[in-house]
Amino acid sequence: MENDEKKYEDVIKALKGLQEVKAPANFEADLQRRINSENISKEEKKSFWQNIFSPSRLIPSLGLVTVAVVIFFVVDTNSEEMDNPFLIEPRVREDVFAVTDFEEVEKKQEELSKQKLLKKDSPVIEQRTNEGQLRSSELKTSEDESIAGREKSDFDELLTDEKDDSQEQGLSSGAYSAVESTLTTVTESPQPTAPTEADAEVTTGQSITKDELNFRQIQLNEEQQKAVNELKNQVQSLNKTSKTQK
Amino acid sequence: MDIKLRELSDEELILEFQKNNTEDAFNILVQRYKNPLTNFVFRFLGDYTACADVVQETMIKVYMYKDSYSSVAKFSTWVYTIAGNLARTEYRRQRRQNIFSINDYGEEHQTYDLPDETYRPDVATDSGIKDEIIQKALLKVKETYREAVILRDIQGLSYEEISEILGVNEGTVKSRINRGRAQLQELLKSIYKE
Repeated sequence: MENDEKKYEDVIKALKGLQEVKAPANFEADLQRRINSENISKEEKKSFWQNIFSPSRLIPSLGLVTVAVVIFFVVDTNSEEMDNPFLIEPRVREDVFAVTDFEEVEKKQEELSKQKLLKKDSPVIEQRTNEGQLRSSELKTSEDESIAGREKSDFDELLTDEKDDSQEQGLSSGAYSAVESTLTTVTESPQPTAPTEADAEVTTGQSITKDELNFRQIQLNEEQQKAVNELKNQVQSLNKTSKTQK
Repeated sequence: MDIKLRELSDEELILEFQKNNTEDAFNILVQRYKNPLTNFVFRFLGDYTACADVVQETMIKVYMYKDSYSSVAKFSTWVYTIAGNLARTEYRRQRRQNIFSINDYGEEHQTYDLPDETYRPDVATDSGIKDEIIQKALLKVKETYREAVILRDIQGLSYEEISEILGVNEGTVKSRINRGRAQLQELLKSIYKE
C-alpha cells in the first residue's frame, strides 16, 4: 500500500494541493427556504390511494377501460369476418354419406329399420322369457308329469303365438330365431332340477318359499279328503309297526 | 444551548435532531458539512451551480429522512453516501443532456465542438490554471475510480469509510483508487514534466 502511495506521490500531492471549494454565501438561507417549501408541499401531498381514487383520475381511466373493451370486441368480430372463405377448409360432415349405388342405400335403410324394431321389442321378449323361466322352474318342482306335459304344451302354444306376433310386426327371421333359441333352452332342459330359493329370488327379485311356489294345490272334496286321511293313517300305522319290529 | 450543541459530535447532533427535532442541531451539522460536501461534489461534477444544488438536496434529504439514520453508522459516511448518490445521478443526467443537446440541433449527422469554458486565461491565476488542469483531468477519469480517488486523496477519508460510502469491500476500494491514480498520472504527465 505504501509502495502504491510512493508510486503515485505526485498525483496525491497535486490532488491534496487543490484549493478547497466552499459553499456559496447564501447556502444556508437558500436551504432554509427550500426546506420550508418542501414542508408545505409535503403537507399538501395526498396519499397514494387518495390520488388513485380521486374523481379527476378515476373518470378518465374508467372511460379508457370501457373504450378499450369496446374496441377489443369490435376488432375481434371484425377479424372473423375478414377471413377469406376461399382459404378456409370445408367442415367434414359425418352425417352425410357419399354413395354411388342406390341399392346399397335401400339395404342400409332396411337394416336400420330392422335394428330399430329389434331394439323396441327386445324388452318385451326378455320379460316373457323371464316368465317362461319361472314357469319351467315350477314344472321342475311339480311331481305330476302329466301336468308338466300340459304346461309344456301351453308354453309351446305361447311360443307359437309370440312367433306369429313377431312375424306380424316384421321381426326379422334371424332375430326371431335368436329369441326362440333362448326360450327353448329354458323349456327343453333334459332333466329339470329343483329350483332353489335363490334362483327364484334372482328371477323375481323377491324371496319365495316352497309352499308359495306350489300354486297348483288341488282343492279336495270331503270324500277325497277322507280317503287321503285314511291313507295317511295306514302309512303311519305301517311306519309304527316297522319301528316296533326293529 | 447553542454552545452546548456545538460541543456535541455529529452523531449526537443528529440524534438530538431525531429525538427532539432541534433545528439548531441540524443547522450546526449543515455548517460542519456544507464545505466538505461542496468540495467533494464539485470535484466529482466539475460544475459549481449543479454542485451547490446537489449539496442543498443532500441537506434536505438529511432533514426530511432524519429518522432513517441509524446510530450504528457514522454520520459522515451517511451524509457522504447521500451526496455521492445524488452527485452520480446528476452527473449521468448532465451527460445524457449533453449527448442529446449536441446531436439534436443542426443538420443531420452534424456535430459541434463545445467551447471550453473551464479554462479562461483572463480569470485564472497561475495556481488557478493548475487547479483547472487537474480538475479537467479528474473529470476524464472513470466515474467509479474518480469518486474513490476524491474521497481518499482530496477529502482524506479512510479506506474503511470509503468502503462504507461506496458499498464495496476495502480491496475493491484500494484497487479503484490505484487505477484512478494511474489514469490521472497518465493525464497529468505534462504538468510533472514542467
